[in-house]
Amino acid sequence: MFGIPVEVLIMQVIFGLALGAIYVLLASGLSIIFGLLDVINFAHGTFYMLGAYAAFMATSLSGSFWVGVAASVVIVMLIGAMTEYFLLKPLYGEWPFYPLLLTFGFAVAVPDLMKALFGLIGKVVEYPEGLVGAFIWGGVLVPKYRLFIIIFTAVVMIALFLFLKRSDLGMIIRAATRDSLMVNVLGVNTSRIWTTGFALGVGLAALGGALHAPMVSAIPDMGVEMTVESFVVVVIGGLGSVGGAILGGLIIGQVVSFVSLFAGEYSQVAIFFAMAVILMVRPRGLFGEAGRL
Amino acid sequence: MDFLNRHKGLKVIGGALVAMAVLPHVISVPLATEIIIYVLFAMGFNILLGHTGLISFGHAAYFGLGSYFAGFALRYFDASVWMSLLWAAAIGGLVAAAIGALAIRKKGVYFAMISLAFGQMFYFMALSPLKKWTGGEDGLKFIPKLKMNYPFYLDLSDHISIYYFVFFVVALSLIAMWRILDSPFGRQLRAIRENEDRIQACGYNVTMAKFYSLVFSGIFSALAGGLMTVNLGYVPVTSLYWTMSGTVVMMTILGGMHSFIGPAVGAAVFLFLQDSVMKIIDRWEIFVGVMFMVLILLFREGIVGTLQQRFGARTSQEAAEG
Repeated sequence: MFGIPVEVLIMQVIFGLALGAIYVLLASGLSIIFGLLDVINFAHGTFYMLGAYAAFMATSLSGSFWVGVAASVVIVMLIGAMTEYFLLKPLYGEWPFYPLLLTFGFAVAVPDLMKALFGLIGKVVEYPEGLVGAFIWGGVLVPKYRLFIIIFTAVVMIALFLFLKRSDLGMIIRAATRDSLMVNVLGVNTSRIWTTGFALGVGLAALGGALHAPMVSAIPDMGVEMTVESFVVVVIGGLGSVGGAILGGLIIGQVVSFVSLFAGEYSQVAIFFAMAVILMVRPRGLFGEAGRL
Repeated sequence: MDFLNRHKGLKVIGGALVAMAVLPHVISVPLATEIIIYVLFAMGFNILLGHTGLISFGHAAYFGLGSYFAGFALRYFDASVWMSLLWAAAIGGLVAAAIGALAIRKKGVYFAMISLAFGQMFYFMALSPLKKWTGGEDGLKFIPKLKMNYPFYLDLSDHISIYYFVFFVVALSLIAMWRILDSPFGRQLRAIRENEDRIQACGYNVTMAKFYSLVFSGIFSALAGGLMTVNLGYVPVTSLYWTMSGTVVMMTILGGMHSFIGPAVGAAVFLFLQDSVMKIIDRWEIFVGVMFMVLILLFREGIVGTLQQRFGARTSQEAAEG
């Protein structure tokens, strides 16, 4: 196709899938938060950035990448829970844009704080042992770490689905997404569910940041583009739907990967064209419920 | 809102114009010029935020495109200063109409996200694919020395004449904006902000009203962008970046979005603070981000709104409408 060997195309698909996996993690977190709290988290990329930094610190302290990733998710979930509890909770029931504006303030202040603490130079997170380099499989060069990200994200997403569909807490979260007042009336402390949901959502962003860190290295401003890109993903997939976030993330991953192959200078613009096309053809997004937005 | 009392409203606008007329004699002239350009930008933005209740995180698109198109007109087409500003305003209206056609029917939060995404799209367009015309990362440079030929000759290369040129355009724009917002259309916008469903039920076309609100907002924002080109003599690519959208959001809320003159106060205080704080520490974003969060948590009505609540208004209703 276009004079490019099929092996290269397959490799590009794998690159796109790995990038898409990161988008899937971020966008599903964004969707969960929006579904529960009706808040668009403008600081989503900031939590992704914090995840990458937490992974850097925990990895260099413990010496193990896996401890680093786990610690990063836990630390950022705690930061997220505190943010929700102290900063967002006072704003519920007011004009719906105030929580959104607050997360925006967070997204302005925190990256600058990280610049003050860690400097502008990127912090490199080493690839975990055994996942360095690539192997050749049927003539296709497969980077091991990218393959790992794809598989790991698939596992996380299956676990997330099982959690939401099968566990009691997951059931409550789904119910609160539909009608939190009713859930509250039935005797569930919805306030705590919101905190949990926010923590879960930013935890997924942090996981994305921690997994992405070896590929891109952690810098304070890495979150900005990620926030915007995860917005594009959920607009394409349909806001509030985890399934839509997954499909949207995979589509955008492939779009970025192939546009950078064929027209490199358009790689950052193409996703917005994709979004504009979806908005014209199917305004609610691929999986979005009609009438909700 | 000031509008119910036209006499009071004219006093507000007159006071603002007098304050702007003396501003360059109080603070440094370049800072004063920047302030009144942002006054226009923030007040144009507030047509959408404060008056219609819609939030856009992509207003850098209109400001930046206004800057670039004024720059293109001056640099590549040898246009006059007036013509370049007309270009800027026209492109702002057109782009707002295009984005509005795609996104204005969306619920508010969705619109906020889509506006941010389109804003970033224009930034990346200027950064890489259109580098040949925009100058990419370096911005649009080598705009010829500016002068105004009509209605009288004015050399726009010294600070004070630029200031009064900008002041003239901003003053006209603010009066036009006042006329728009004081009309039945303006009242319809504020009614939509208060209760969209009810206005729809009354038989008004809410979508079209929001659409025109966005277009007006885009025109004034782009005009502010064009003035920035006249002021700076070049166009930095950051004028399209999301931080520009964020800045205008913060200015508007700092001043008070539910008052006509609030965004102007916000823009002035914001830039004055920025100028002063940056002399002491270079971590302006931490300062402004934290300040903004405190504002949202404690002083949602901004400077003007809070002052009116404390001192001005006699009834709580007036205070809320401020």
